Amino acid sequence: MSIAGAAIIWIALLGPVITLITRMSPGDIWTALTGAGNLDPLLTSIESGLVTLGVLLLLCTPLAWMLARDRLPFPRIWEAGILCSLLLPPLVIGLLLVFMVGPYTWVGSVLDWVHQSATNTFLALVIAEVYESAPYYVLGARAAFASVDTGLEQQAGLLGDRPGRVFRRVTLPMAAPGLAMALAVSWARAIGAFGAVVIIAYHPFGIPMQIFTTLQETGLYSALPYALVLLVVALPLPMAAYVWSARAERRRRG
Amino acid sequence: MYGARVLSVDVEVDRREFTVRAALEVADGERVALFGPSGAGKTTVLEAIAGLVTLRGHVSLSDRVLTSTSEHVDVPPWRRRVGLLRQDPGLFPHLSVRANLLYARSAREDELAELAAQLDIAALLSAMPARLSGGQRHRVALGRLLLAHCDALLLDEPFASLDAALRRSLTALVKDISSERMVASVLVTHQLADAQAFADRLAVIDEGLILQIGAPDEVVLRPASRRVAELVGYLGFVPAGGAPGSAAGVVAGVHPERVIAGADPDRGLVVTGTVTAARPSGAGWEADVLAGDATFTCRLPSRPVAQLAVTVLDPPYFAADGVLLTPGQHIRSA
Repeated sequence: MSIAGAAIIWIALLGPVITLITRMSPGDIWTALTGAGNLDPLLTSIESGLVTLGVLLLLCTPLAWMLARDRLPFPRIWEAGILCSLLLPPLVIGLLLVFMVGPYTWVGSVLDWVHQSATNTFLALVIAEVYESAPYYVLGARAAFASVDTGLEQQAGLLGDRPGRVFRRVTLPMAAPGLAMALAVSWARAIGAFGAVVIIAYHPFGIPMQIFTTLQETGLYSALPYALVLLVVALPLPMAAYVWSARAERRRRG
Repeated sequence: MYGARVLSVDVEVDRREFTVRAALEVADGERVALFGPSGAGKTTVLEAIAGLVTLRGHVSLSDRVLTSTSEHVDVPPWRRRVGLLRQDPGLFPHLSVRANLLYARSAREDELAELAAQLDIAALLSAMPARLSGGQRHRVALGRLLLAHCDALLLDEPFASLDAALRRSLTALVKDISSERMVASVLVTHQLADAQAFADRLAVIDEGLILQIGAPDEVVLRPASRRVAELVGYLGFVPAGGAPGSAAGVVAGVHPERVIAGADPDRGLVVTGTVTAARPSGAGWEADVLAGDATFTCRLPSRPVAQLAVTVLDPPYFAADGVLLTPGQHIRSA
């Protein structure tokens, strides 16, 4: 394929972003963002996105490592489970979450007992974002761990490192670029989560919900500035992960 | 200075095809080569010593019991102080050469400069492993094991992917260093020349069993059985009928490099035969010879004639069951 062909495809893929930028004037953006409480959805999205990343790192990283290292019995069944949750449409995830953690379930009862709720709360928003982004993180992290040569881990062990130190000194640094990319993809999924969110976490508003309600209440043009904000907020982390991964790779090549 | 240590191995490891059974003792500073064909179980023995496979039996290094099924002892690999160098040198790609060399917690920085100079890698300390040649990577990996103060060196065909000259120089380097540091070393290889160049003793292993252990010359010139002879390069067995008074079924092993043209009964067994194929080999010729019902291969300095008489120099004789006969036994047993 020629460079011109590649450029056409690239521009076509960027079409929505280009449209977004060209459709707005600085005045539109200023008006949208300076209104009272207009930045609240942005803060909500950032906070819930960061908490989601923390949950993924803490809970899903060990699972991804165990999948990559065949530490689980019947590994194909475990992987099939992850794929199932990946294939479920976000809207369906939201519907099912209502039956799983909603107020009339035993989880809901337990949460109610500690004065919490998994519907229309910050907790609900995080749960929805976790369910929408976790499969992407698990599969990405699994691939990152699988790319680390087990022979190197074995060598580190023979040089005197216990398994925990091997993980910290060899496995993690070597898988880090892949983990960073998996985290970046999950971040994009979390911060842009809508399907599950609209069912179980209509409130508090994150940016996607703000776009949806603005679109419904005041029309297409009013929603676009929030879309730009979403892009601007979501982009730095994936970009940083990409740049850092490329630098780590260059460093390894000497 | 290192204390006296003896590596003692007596293990059984189940594999899909067969059970590897190996008993081996390596003295302080001694070098033993485990030689055998691919899939014979050589690497399994090293992995058993390193604690990387499940086994039955006993492994000890000096006064430390590393594995003992009877005593329910199984020291994990990270506490064994056993260094393993494989064909892939296993350098950590995210660390510089210097960081690789100092990876082990037991590595001492004050030893780094001297060792780096000895291994000719002093100029590479700040480089990343990806920039190194194959030989340099192996030198760094070796240095890393030495700085880790391993009590035993396990070498799993480490230089097999390198060219012959580099392989020779690295083998000599490891040999010198293991002698100097008095470290027990075990080399696994399927290249007989590498084994001979490295080892004080040669152990021939096939289908999981050690068939013979001895000085390299002894094993090559007096293989304990026909199978060992085949493994160390004997390319034919001829009836010992040429030797006066030979017993029925006794055969002489023909090593292609221990054959001279012409009949010289004082130096060995004279065999006559027909050359069925001849091809250039190195500075001379290699010929396939049919002698009666037997065939053998030999190397000769010049192109062989169709009808050939050769002398197999002091060949080993094997009884009908394949066991080596002691010198003269093939005649006495007649």
